[in-house]
Amino acid sequence: MTAVREEPRPDRPIDATTTRDGRGGSASTPDRANEPADWVSALTGTGPDQVVAMRQLHQLMLRAAAHEVSRMRGALPDASPGTVDVVVNQAADEAMTALLRKLHTFEGRSRFTTWAFKFAIVQAASDVRRLQWQHREVELRDLDLAHLPAAEHLNPEQQAQGSDIAVAVAEAMRTALTPHQRRVAIALLVDGVPVDVLAQRLATNRGALYKTVHDARQRLRAELTAKGYLDPARATHRIPPSPTSTSAGTP
Amino acid sequence: MSHAPSPPPLDDDAVSALLLDTTPWLSCDDCFARMDTYVEALLTDPNHRDPAMDHHLQGCAACDEEARSLTALLVGERAAPEGQR
Repeated sequence: MTAVREEPRPDRPIDATTTRDGRGGSASTPDRANEPADWVSALTGTGPDQVVAMRQLHQLMLRAAAHEVSRMRGALPDASPGTVDVVVNQAADEAMTALLRKLHTFEGRSRFTTWAFKFAIVQAASDVRRLQWQHREVELRDLDLAHLPAAEHLNPEQQAQGSDIAVAVAEAMRTALTPHQRRVAIALLVDGVPVDVLAQRLATNRGALYKTVHDARQRLRAELTAKGYLDPARATHRIPPSPTSTSAGTP
Repeated sequence: MSHAPSPPPLDDDAVSALLLDTTPWLSCDDCFARMDTYVEALLTDPNHRDPAMDHHLQGCAACDEEARSLTALLVGERAAPEGQR
């Protein structure tokens, strides 16, 4: 993401107006004027003020979780209102717990509400991805290296279409990557398995998998640069990015 | 007798994803830590650049989706009438 752009709004925005525990209140129409000027003090204080602040924080969490689930609604196997409500509330609850554990790290470099929203968005997105894949197998496959054509045996048309660099990348994956790096890179970058899902299946975390992919990319780039497929000065390769792809692909 | 050529083992999108330069290194945890300030900075100045964040978001679809979502939420909050945020 390198530029701000407004995202299309979902057809039917999720109305996170009530909380599951009956505390009520409107998550989509909070009374901002009554929000604490100092959220950290309010949340770490005592008495009625803290209770009110906690309730307001939960409304923030609900609003952000509903926003994210609404964006990703199409990925939910069951997008019925009841299921969506459960997903939103569970994400908001978990995000609030995570936020309160990290409250001491808030440095005021952004608005508190922006800082708080990200907890709910990340939690809700992760929950939706896991639900999307809960009944799907994740295959940790390797490349079919036995049937890899040699780059020098490609005809001119294939070379013009970029098959030569595709073959070179595949060959570099065989020679420069470990089997683990290869399988993780294929799952995340070729087969499109969400990083949260793969992390859950492998009992690891997003950060560890991203590091694996980062290292694999570095090795591949070094190998392809050494073989003349990448221009070391420009650090680019010869295939232009697909005009339809918004991200170069990724965990 | 000629054989049909084997399809390339990786399509263009896969090749681009595999060869993406994600330096300077930034972890997903660091991306999360900086996401709020990064998004606010972008909303204030669309030309704002943070190379580490920019490259991480290009290379991590999950973090990218979440940063876009946070941006959209803030844009919506700013557009909403007072009292309906």
